[in-house]
Amino acid sequence: MRHLARVTLHLLLLAALVVAVSGILAATPALAQERAVKIAGVGAMTGVIRGFGINSKAVFDMVVDEINEKGGIKLADGTRAKIVTTFVDERCNAEEGISVVRKLASEDWLVVIGPTCSNVAEPLFGILQRKVGDAGDTGLQFPIFTDTAIKPGLAKISEWSFRNVPHEPTMYNHLFKWLKEKHPDVKTVYGGVESDFAHSNANWGVMEAAAKAAGFEVLGVEKWLLNDTEFSTQVGKWRRAKPDVVAISSHPFTLCGTLREMKRQGVKPKLLVGLTSSATLETMAGCGPDAEGLIIPTGFAPVTPEAQRVAKIVATKYKGNVDLHSAAVYENMYVLKQIIETSGVEAKPGTVQQDRRRIREGLAKVKELQGLLGKVTRTDDRESVKPYVFAIAKNSDWAVLYDPR
Amino acid sequence: MSDVALDVVQQVLNGFLFGSSYALIGIGFTMIFGVMDKLNLSFGVTALAGAYTGLLVFHLTRGPFVLVFATAVAAAGLLGLVVELMCFRWMPRDYPLAPLMATMGMLFFVDEVIAHATHGRPMAFPAPMGQVMMDLGPWLLRGAVMGALWFLVYKTRLGLATRAVSQQPVAAQLCGIALPRVNAAVFVITGMVGGVAGTLIGSAVGNLSPLLSLPLTVKGLVTAVLGGLGSVPGAVVAGLLLGVVEYEALYFFGIGYRDMVTYLLLFAFLVFRPGGLFGRGVRA
Repeated sequence: MRHLARVTLHLLLLAALVVAVSGILAATPALAQERAVKIAGVGAMTGVIRGFGINSKAVFDMVVDEINEKGGIKLADGTRAKIVTTFVDERCNAEEGISVVRKLASEDWLVVIGPTCSNVAEPLFGILQRKVGDAGDTGLQFPIFTDTAIKPGLAKISEWSFRNVPHEPTMYNHLFKWLKEKHPDVKTVYGGVESDFAHSNANWGVMEAAAKAAGFEVLGVEKWLLNDTEFSTQVGKWRRAKPDVVAISSHPFTLCGTLREMKRQGVKPKLLVGLTSSATLETMAGCGPDAEGLIIPTGFAPVTPEAQRVAKIVATKYKGNVDLHSAAVYENMYVLKQIIETSGVEAKPGTVQQDRRRIREGLAKVKELQGLLGKVTRTDDRESVKPYVFAIAKNSDWAVLYDPR
Repeated sequence: MSDVALDVVQQVLNGFLFGSSYALIGIGFTMIFGVMDKLNLSFGVTALAGAYTGLLVFHLTRGPFVLVFATAVAAAGLLGLVVELMCFRWMPRDYPLAPLMATMGMLFFVDEVIAHATHGRPMAFPAPMGQVMMDLGPWLLRGAVMGALWFLVYKTRLGLATRAVSQQPVAAQLCGIALPRVNAAVFVITGMVGGVAGTLIGSAVGNLSPLLSLPLTVKGLVTAVLGGLGSVPGAVVAGLLLGVVEYEALYFFGIGYRDMVTYLLLFAFLVFRPGGLFGRGVRA
């Protein structure tokens, strides 16, 4: 009998212990959840553009771990909260991007970093409230801080949209001016563009204007499509025109195709200029030797100790690459940390909308931020003017040709 | 000869060069349709997947191009068999749309697998015979494959069985021809043809990318329809015709009109000659 009582007592103690432990376990995430700063990443994680999303996510994970390891973010009442994240796939598709951001906005996420593609960013910014405080505008009141989508001028669509992407007109104006100074004998430019890709098209406009402004004669532009595989007709026209400069506004797949065709047809312009988004390891993997001499202005190169440190950690621990797009994620996260710590964000379940507004207002006030290459200036239309370098393809790798910082 | 005339001739040659790739892809579509009366929308992507497998072996072994080529052909043949099993043999026979939709699903599934495995990045593909021979080599190889295929279809017992199944499946079965075996053989053979096409396209372009799968599928389908669904010689002629039309349209009208001209050609065929160039006519 005594034995039975002892066993019963032990069972009761065990049950009490289990209840207590499970209570603690249940309470711990609840507490953490209550005081967590929830930041969502949105990028292309499937499809042919997923390389950009993978790099953004790698940098996102790296910087979040770094901030959390240093104690997280200090909230308005002095408590420290960890950053909680998710990274959702927009598939480089406008409908998908809008759908996932609407879902995030309906939950308690405070701010979004992303998206990857300009053709997603443009309509996505269109569903945000255009002007803050406009009671007649039922658009989403949800801050978005873009790292990758680079088509010029998108942030002006809504006062809730912010971007930290390289300012292509500034970079290309400088590049063509610099090329003219360094190579006064170079006079003519012939372009090439992926005509069915928003960023490539917009960038060709930028290149053409910059070349004309620098005193080049633009002979024309040849066009192809994003998934074209054969470029002999277009390259044949370059061969016949014999331009001094060939400026190609296309992403790595068709860029590599055209470079290969140029080699095949023996087209050797004095200078070769490429699209910002092709200043990546992707181009080197696709056609390193054929890209020799290709010059591209880029908002990232491992030329500062901090840039080298981040690039090394992301490559070794997070299996991603820091490039001109993904580097912005690092910068954006530290800007957000600073804003959250200084603008009274509470990160409580009942303060989501106020916190989003505080973050938006904080982002709007930022006039300067510390980037991986140096000071980044913010413009009134919520864009960045970032430091940049001119990179050149050399021995199947990127080297810095000129550093104007 | 004036520059324009030279360019026109050059475009014809370019058209033949790339049209021969369309022909190989078109043959895959048309042979399967000829035998089973069904479309295999995943043919283009299995051709691409075969080429990727060859590239994987190249990266692992740094072996010669012939190894890349053989692996790609074998892998694409195997994938063809997988498609036959999963999208045709195991599909319910009461739903004629089921295999079509299954092959469409397979197209996107394999495409996404490739995109995941490669992060969607283009990957350099080795050239078979160096830069000098690039222009002619693949063309000759495509011609050889088409010749071998013609021999297989018209001069062998398997070819006879295939044609018998294509013309009268029930009668062929009554004559002792094993329908599943013939179907599987056709899928493996067409898969291997796809592997050849995928490898040669990879060599000609110099890169492989998941971006290639949809254009290959669409161009292959257009070729098969223009040539006449079920007709191998039709696919060959239609592929070459399509290549030449595309290149001339690109030269004279620019990229914005190239595909418009292609699809106008398809539309014209469907209206005025729905059976295609060598087709067996419209069925009642």
